[in-house]
Amino acid sequence: MARYGMAIDLSACVGCAACAVACKLENEVPPGVSRLWIRLEESGTFPELHMQYRPEQCLQCDEPPCVPVCPTGASHVTSDGVVLVDAETCIACGACIAACPYDARYFDPRGFVSKCTFCEHRLAGGRPPACVETCPTLCRTFGDLDDPDSDVSTAIRGARRVDVLKPEQGTHPKLVYLNAPASFAPRREGALR
Amino acid sequence: MIAYYGVVNDGAFWHWTTLLHFSLVALAGGVALLTAYRALTWARFPRRLAWTAVALIALDLVVLWAESEARFRLTHVYLFLTVQPASAIWWGAWGLAGSAALGLLLALGWGPRRLWGALLVLTSGVALLYPGLALASNAARPLWTPLMLAFMPVTGLLVAWGLALLFRQNDLRPAVAGLGVSGALLGGLYLVGLAFGGLDARAGLGELWREGGPAFVVALAAMLATPALVRRWPAAAGLIAVAGAILARTLIVHIGAFMPPSM
Repeated sequence: MARYGMAIDLSACVGCAACAVACKLENEVPPGVSRLWIRLEESGTFPELHMQYRPEQCLQCDEPPCVPVCPTGASHVTSDGVVLVDAETCIACGACIAACPYDARYFDPRGFVSKCTFCEHRLAGGRPPACVETCPTLCRTFGDLDDPDSDVSTAIRGARRVDVLKPEQGTHPKLVYLNAPASFAPRREGALR
Repeated sequence: MIAYYGVVNDGAFWHWTTLLHFSLVALAGGVALLTAYRALTWARFPRRLAWTAVALIALDLVVLWAESEARFRLTHVYLFLTVQPASAIWWGAWGLAGSAALGLLLALGWGPRRLWGALLVLTSGVALLYPGLALASNAARPLWTPLMLAFMPVTGLLVAWGLALLFRQNDLRPAVAGLGVSGALLGGLYLVGLAFGGLDARAGLGELWREGGPAFVVALAAMLATPALVRRWPAAAGLIAVAGAILARTLIVHIGAFMPPSM
């Protein structure tokens, strides 16, 4: 079985939001909520002014805090390591939304919780997630983290630096950020799995 | 400066009905525990108390159902068709359902009263404990610290038993006084824990203070005042303690839910 992961090269992201639009269309995400958004952060003052675009979404954690709190098992991890919500058994209690440190989940108006699925319906057909396929600067790479020859493993190996969001939460995200500008340092995880 | 393309999912995930549930579940669990206590210790068991417990549990479940985004999908049945011991809400569902069933048996006078009473101690205890567990299991929410595991059941029981003083259950006065002092001390300890905690905990304390700090202090003072009032004015003392406990619980749940997972 694969252990799917994604890497986003922040030095190549231009903040065009094509990934966010592709996600919205591909997954028919309702208005008012997002599976993927772009964070634009400025810091410093002239002449030391810095700007960074950072796409954010479900980080598909290896230790997802949203899964054990689910009272019906609707939140689950597939054998490929993708964290999903089974809409059929979700009671929309919001426990997983409360538990997620990344605000990655939302209430779908149809009465269940939803989030990024790494486009599992596309993966089943051998295609990459819509955000990866759409990115015009190829800053996103996707694949099996356990396969040393996969695109994502190669990108992580070749990166100047590798970061994850909120490593202190111990969630071990499988979505990592590459080559973040030093001034933004999202905080590095001690040991990237 | 930070800006976003797209909507960050940081809106409310629990609404006012959830806040109401946090008070109702305390009332339901506490009255169920009182029912169990009476069933085990009193020769003439007051069936009206058991009916009250059942009615409060039913009201709480209706509020929960009405609050749910999935209320017309009937998926709540999966709470009882799956085994999820790591989930506080799963335990809460079983605690409330079990308490309702046992309360009904006691109210109808069917079966061995003492056995039902003993089992009701367990199920009502679960119902009282689960809100604290549901909050404390969110490591990403700075205001919902592990101290909730003690604060929520103590203040929950105070809500129910304090209210019972209005109905002349005066043998509960020492217990209510003890619960009032315990709730206030745990609340104080909670504030100290936030003040001396990490960056997120201190940010949480700042948020709690900005949004409802004075109200929280008043709530703790109301609970602390219980022992001084409960001998002469038990009903007033009970009411003040209930108000304090509900206010403190509501502030922690409400502000904690709206505060971003990490500042």
